[in-house]
Amino acid sequence: MARLYEEQYVWRLPVRIYHWINAICITILFPTGLYIASPIFSPSIGEAVWYHQMAWIRYIHFGTAFVFLANFLFRLYWALFGNDRYARFAGFQPWKPIWWGQPFKDQLASYLFIRKDEPNYCGHNPVAALTHFLFVFCGSIFMLMTGLAMYGETNTGGFIDTLFGWVMLVFGSTHAMHTMHHLVAWLFPVYLILHIYAVVRHDIVDRSSTTSSIITGYKHRVEECPEYAD
Amino acid sequence: MKKHETFADVISARGIERRDFIKYCSLIGTYLGLSAAMVPKIIFAMETKPRIPVIWLHGLECTCCSESFIRSAHPITADIVLNMISLDYDDTLSAAAGHQLEAVRKQIMKEYKGKYILAVEGNAPTKDNGVYCMIAGDSFTNVLKETAADAMAVIAWGSCASFGCVQNARPNPTGAQPVHKIIKNKPIVNVPGCPPIAEVMTGVIAHLLTFGKLPELDRLKRPKAFYGTRIHDQCTRRSFFDAGMFVESFADDGAQKGWCLYKMGCKGPTTFNSCAGIGWNEGVSYPIKSGHPCIGCSEPNFWDNGPFYTRLAEIPFVGTNSNADKIGMVAVGAAAAGMAAHAVGTVIKNKRSQAETTEKED
Repeated sequence: MARLYEEQYVWRLPVRIYHWINAICITILFPTGLYIASPIFSPSIGEAVWYHQMAWIRYIHFGTAFVFLANFLFRLYWALFGNDRYARFAGFQPWKPIWWGQPFKDQLASYLFIRKDEPNYCGHNPVAALTHFLFVFCGSIFMLMTGLAMYGETNTGGFIDTLFGWVMLVFGSTHAMHTMHHLVAWLFPVYLILHIYAVVRHDIVDRSSTTSSIITGYKHRVEECPEYAD
Repeated sequence: MKKHETFADVISARGIERRDFIKYCSLIGTYLGLSAAMVPKIIFAMETKPRIPVIWLHGLECTCCSESFIRSAHPITADIVLNMISLDYDDTLSAAAGHQLEAVRKQIMKEYKGKYILAVEGNAPTKDNGVYCMIAGDSFTNVLKETAADAMAVIAWGSCASFGCVQNARPNPTGAQPVHKIIKNKPIVNVPGCPPIAEVMTGVIAHLLTFGKLPELDRLKRPKAFYGTRIHDQCTRRSFFDAGMFVESFADDGAQKGWCLYKMGCKGPTTFNSCAGIGWNEGVSYPIKSGHPCIGCSEPNFWDNGPFYTRLAEIPFVGTNSNADKIGMVAVGAAAAGMAAHAVGTVIKNKRSQAETTEKED
């Protein structure tokens, strides 16, 4: 059986750049963050001033966090003002009951094996959009706000502390904020598993080149063509 | 009652030399982070302003704040500060008792309406009409409200009065509430710590006396001068933290060599206080310097941020053995298992639909 392919340009360059910078940042931030909480390596012999092991890990964590922040703001700008129908926020309106209507239900039913067919979307399907909103958008904002609040504590009354220091009041104490920053960080590996599974599964089931689309930008619509049957 | 006696009058009557008095004023100026030019102002205030009457209430507490207060670093400082104020009511230190003492409190409240300072040690249980702390036949909650009504300002001594401390740790059986939850319409300064550092306590009073107003406060109403930096950022063992040289057990080499106590559960990185700067017991030491991790006693809810000896805290409502990493790993495991199950489901579904298609074609 032959197949017809139709190329569709889905992920524009800004989206792809954002995706990979974000992926690299999270890959650095998560393990360095865990290391800061539970440092396992220790320099063997010598004076403390020779080593900056913990200092370096923290420096990398904080430095990467600022790249992560800039990248997030860039994506936010693109979502709000970019001329990009697959990357805009415009279609994502979960506060409206209609957004939770048939397309969302169909997609969810398909994922739960209640429906047989697999709905196919060029961009994100409604369930994927919701997952991205909860994990990537809300998760990143949570990590950035708590992270900046903690970072500001080294210089109380400074610029960052003035802007974000109030976040601590939400948790009641700095310690509780540290704990929640650590706990919510685990959302990202959980998301990573869901994300990679969903991408590979869609690629196999729909044969739509989802995996390579985030490198090339192109997805493919596949149609079976019985008339060219072998 | 001596109404217009100044602080300088009191110390000269006690035979303390002016030289020592000036030294004390310079010291307080340094603690408060003031420039040398402000020292004459402090001296002027101490010599001319009448002593402020203070009513010192004790609620649910252990009196460790008072114990700390009377152990200020320099022997004359304690004496001086106790004399700077006119401590007219303190049910722990007063010679009078019973109705006599309560009459004094009422009298001060009337005579110095809007001019006295209310110092509160401990907090107020609010459950069951406050029966868990009764003073002179009335609940402490009522006494606190009544006394605060005509006060110039309220000083909340210690973690109890500032944030609640052990009394309002989960599950808070007596409904204990810190002072700022009960008194809403008065200027309040929180001086947390269990107990607070003696010099911090005397410093707050010296500031009040010198400038006639509360010191500059942060978000949690703590004086910025004393609670503006984390202990971690002034710690004597900080170089070992940056190097990554950690004590792994209280019996190891690192412990003997004075390495960083971070992995022993030190709360220095999340605790704002001046322990590392001012020190305790006449400036001799502070917990970390002495080899014990900071327990974060001046932070809100520090009893619920435990355990004291592990870096990762228990997660509220999950269990006594939980921490962020354990929960995270369970979540990741569940996600992986769920996705694996879903993959199997997808394969079965595809097999079935293929079988159906073949049947139809047949």
